[in-house]
Amino acid sequence: MRMMKALFLTLTLGAPISVSSACAETLKVAGPWEIAGIEPAQTGYVFSRLQVAETLVTTDKQGTLAPGLAKRWTVSDDGLNWSFALRDNAVFHDGTKVTAEAAVASLRRTLGGVGVLAQAPIAEIAGEGGEIRIKLHKPFSALPAYLVHFSTIILAPSSFDGAGKITGIVGSGPYQVKTLTPPARLELEGSGRWWGGEPGISEVSYLAVGQGETRALMAESGEADLVFSMLPVSVDRLKANPKLDVQIATIPRTRILKVNAASPFFDQIEERQAISAAIDRVGITKVILRNADLAATQLFPPAMKGWNIARVEPLTQDVEKAKALLAAAGWTPGRDGILEKDGKRFSVTMLTYSSWPELPPLATALQAQLRRVGINVKVSVGNSSEIPARHKDGTLEMGLISRLYSIVPDPVGTLLQDYGPGGSDWGATGWDNKEMQAVVEKLAATSDASVRAPLQTQAVEILQQELPSIPVTWSELAIVSSKRITGVAVDPLEVNYGLSSIRWVK
Amino acid sequence: MSTIDNMTSTRARTGVGTARLAGAGLLILLGGFALLGPLVISSDPSAQDLGASLAPIGGDYLLGADHYGRSLLARLAHGARLSFGMAFLTMLAAAVPGILLGLAAAWKGGWAERMLEFVATVVLALPGLMLVLLLLAFSPGDYGPLFLGLSLTLWVEFYRLTKATTRTVLAQPHIEAARMLGFGSRYILVHYVLPVIGPMIATLSAFAMATAIIAVSTLSAISVGLQPPTPELGSMIVELLPYFAEAPVHVLLPAVLIFLLVLGLQLLAQGDRA
Amino acid sequence: MKNFLVARLLQAGIVSVAVGALCFILMRVLPGDAAMRIAAGRYGPDARIADAAEKVRLELGLDRPIAMQFLEWLGSLARFDLGHSLVTGRAVAHELQVQLGASVWLAAAALVLSLLIGPIVGLFGGLKPGGAADRLGLMGAVIFRAIPPFVLGLILMLVFSRQLGWLPPAGFGSPREILLPALTLALGLAAMSSRVTRNAVAAVAQAPYFAFARYKGLSEPIVVRRHGLRNAAIPVVSYLGLQAIYLIEGVVVVESLFAYPGIGHALVHAIVERDIPMVQGTALMMGLMFVAIGAAVDLLTLWLDPRTGKTV
Repeated sequence: MRMMKALFLTLTLGAPISVSSACAETLKVAGPWEIAGIEPAQTGYVFSRLQVAETLVTTDKQGTLAPGLAKRWTVSDDGLNWSFALRDNAVFHDGTKVTAEAAVASLRRTLGGVGVLAQAPIAEIAGEGGEIRIKLHKPFSALPAYLVHFSTIILAPSSFDGAGKITGIVGSGPYQVKTLTPPARLELEGSGRWWGGEPGISEVSYLAVGQGETRALMAESGEADLVFSMLPVSVDRLKANPKLDVQIATIPRTRILKVNAASPFFDQIEERQAISAAIDRVGITKVILRNADLAATQLFPPAMKGWNIARVEPLTQDVEKAKALLAAAGWTPGRDGILEKDGKRFSVTMLTYSSWPELPPLATALQAQLRRVGINVKVSVGNSSEIPARHKDGTLEMGLISRLYSIVPDPVGTLLQDYGPGGSDWGATGWDNKEMQAVVEKLAATSDASVRAPLQTQAVEILQQELPSIPVTWSELAIVSSKRITGVAVDPLEVNYGLSSIRWVK
Repeated sequence: MSTIDNMTSTRARTGVGTARLAGAGLLILLGGFALLGPLVISSDPSAQDLGASLAPIGGDYLLGADHYGRSLLARLAHGARLSFGMAFLTMLAAAVPGILLGLAAAWKGGWAERMLEFVATVVLALPGLMLVLLLLAFSPGDYGPLFLGLSLTLWVEFYRLTKATTRTVLAQPHIEAARMLGFGSRYILVHYVLPVIGPMIATLSAFAMATAIIAVSTLSAISVGLQPPTPELGSMIVELLPYFAEAPVHVLLPAVLIFLLVLGLQLLAQGDRA
Repeated sequence: MKNFLVARLLQAGIVSVAVGALCFILMRVLPGDAAMRIAAGRYGPDARIADAAEKVRLELGLDRPIAMQFLEWLGSLARFDLGHSLVTGRAVAHELQVQLGASVWLAAAALVLSLLIGPIVGLFGGLKPGGAADRLGLMGAVIFRAIPPFVLGLILMLVFSRQLGWLPPAGFGSPREILLPALTLALGLAAMSSRVTRNAVAAVAQAPYFAFARYKGLSEPIVVRRHGLRNAAIPVVSYLGLQAIYLIEGVVVVESLFAYPGIGHALVHAIVERDIPMVQGTALMMGLMFVAIGAAVDLLTLWLDPRTGKTV
């Protein structure tokens, strides 16, 4: 015992020497994302959020587009030629100027890889004299929004080797990479070259902490000054802590039940509506998410202006209605209470995955609720790729997924994929609705707000009536910060966490 | 020499009789709970009532309800049955081949031992976690691969301990003498080897069962174990863990059940020593 | 001795090829589309995985014959090249250096801590079976053995980080940060090793030669040192070897709880994401380490009890 104590003391006393010199002014950040690789299409969001690299276009705190590395942009009258003017004073961390040539090289590389840019109808990217010109095949109003995506961060030519393989992140943001220890730690320091001035705190250390409970303890023990993505259950406890501030923002992410509308279980609209009516959204959100306001009465959350339509009839629980709808669709209770039709039992597999820690608990709750209307659900928690794989080969029955509608800040980008012909990985399966496709196509072609508003309403109404994906809950992002720092703001689109404007409280 | 043997063993036997009884009693109680509980307790372990989320102990629910409002009593009973059954089968599937092969290797030596040693080394060199994960990847959430993977990693332990100890015993002068005097293998096994390896195997079996119980719960913690709503004790802890600040006793209940299971096993193993 | 080393080297070679082949076969016969898994591993659950998977398939040549891919792996292995991770794109050797290295440090710290606790508790218990020290030791062992590691880790975190504020709940790189995860592992290990030590000591204490030594009139400490420790150490050493192995792989939950970037964590990801070179490389390195540990255990046993040398 004495030996243990001695060892304990040596280790603990020895340690502060190495730590204290650096930690005095280092901003310690913890979040759930691991830095698996440095390819921008994979982990560009870490570098975008922590302000190491910048995109041409960014968003402000209201979620509207704002100038990033490009100070302004214009589009030709035919909607085919876009032009982005670069800031004159932007410099990469290696000291070279952010030129149109460098930005074009970086964007062309992105265009050739995996990422959202490859999904835009881009014909050519060129540039000279501080202007980047993007030529399109067809008018596409959401192009600037696509250039907010983290995969389009502009990196200096010195980030790549001769073969175009990325070797380091040389960006243009207020922070530059000091050391990176994948997958867990990233140390940043002020670059001293940023066009926006010097950051308030020049040393930042990011630690990837996967477990939500551990993150909460990091905040409580003062080992982290800023912690992202708190578990809903720990939020109340953290709010009561006098040393901490908790900020919460609704984010444009919805957990939905993706059903295969081509399978015999969900091919009729009544069946999908019955599933929706069988779900106790308020109960689920109260118990698991600790906020009944997150019950998804329609696909898009209220924070998405123009996409949350007040007049559509909200999705609510009504078990009797659910049973009546299922009976109307030809399902009758069998001997064990499970519904049957033509000798086939209503027994389906619900695929889900644990990349989002709340999905398996939600699936467990949904399983019990669907059982009450006579539907037998087998929950299978696997890898996130199983849902796209089963979507592709048509064997998917039901999947509980978490869908982000701000992958590009304009939800049209996501809708185009999700509800276009053939559906998509995270959108509809076996649901081919010409009316919806026409509405989304029209939305994609125009940026005129007065033309778009009625189209957006129409799209939401179709989705509410047809339910190709059944909304379950909306999402929120909780951020905890120590009272030692000030200037923390939540970015609901999670593009940029604004670390550079954080300061120590004097 | 035999008098000394007798003396020491009688002395040890009297000292642990109570521990053994207590262990057996505890295991019988838990076994009864695991076997009869699910029959007696009528409530469905997966029936939810979100209105009764985290219901306190002693109210409508005898042992309270979890966050989904599921009866913890029913879940504990089903969980005990599952953990007990799984651990016992895993231990058996690991111990029987492990001990037999270990004895064979120590007895025969030479070529047979070298072959066995190689197989054991390869299995041992395969990270056990990887084996379990790979097998689980074939059919996620099923009992089969979980059980198979755990026994495949655990048998080596029985094999090695049996082999090492048996070889030491056989190398002792008085046993070499006994062998030379023409005492049969059976006699040596029963009189000299088993008394020595017996207590170790008993301890190891208890540990193996405990390891199996904890391994299954650990796999639940990295979400590759059994699928919801299976009432597995480890996954019950994991599911309730986020609520530890609000309902600490609820989180502790499955942990206490695991604790009691392992305690019973250990006490029983203690008694087998002499 | 020379023969022993040659035999072990040969064994290491055979084991590494066997382990590599086994991993390769298992990974290839697993159900599910590897390209999809890799794409999901690379681009995360928000991406368009089906599209990305097509590019991944082309880039990695996953459609080539399986035998050819295995021969390629063997070929590069002969050049001591473990290939590149399919997910992160970095060299597997580099990934292992960081992650396996981190785990080895954690395991070593845990082993040292457990050796300070376990065998000592066991020795006292074993000398007087049924005594107070034995009972206390048993109680401690049962408690720490019966608590799942993630619960134990959480309790330690609550005590040392939240209540006392002494140690950080997560992180890596400094002794401060390694202490909590190492202690979590060490307590579980000490629980096991203390009981094995205790039983071995108790068995030795009852053995005729031990009693005979006492009859000879030797003092208690000398009896314990000359006749007790050496014989009792044999099963303990053999058990410790196994423990060291379990440690390296048993760290996975502790690693994920304490955000420690070790090999257990990496292995889970690699298997789920079908990162074949990573799984093969990890299995290979761990296999070699296990062979080395096995050799060390055998050498120690040989030294402790030369009679067993006959069959080595």
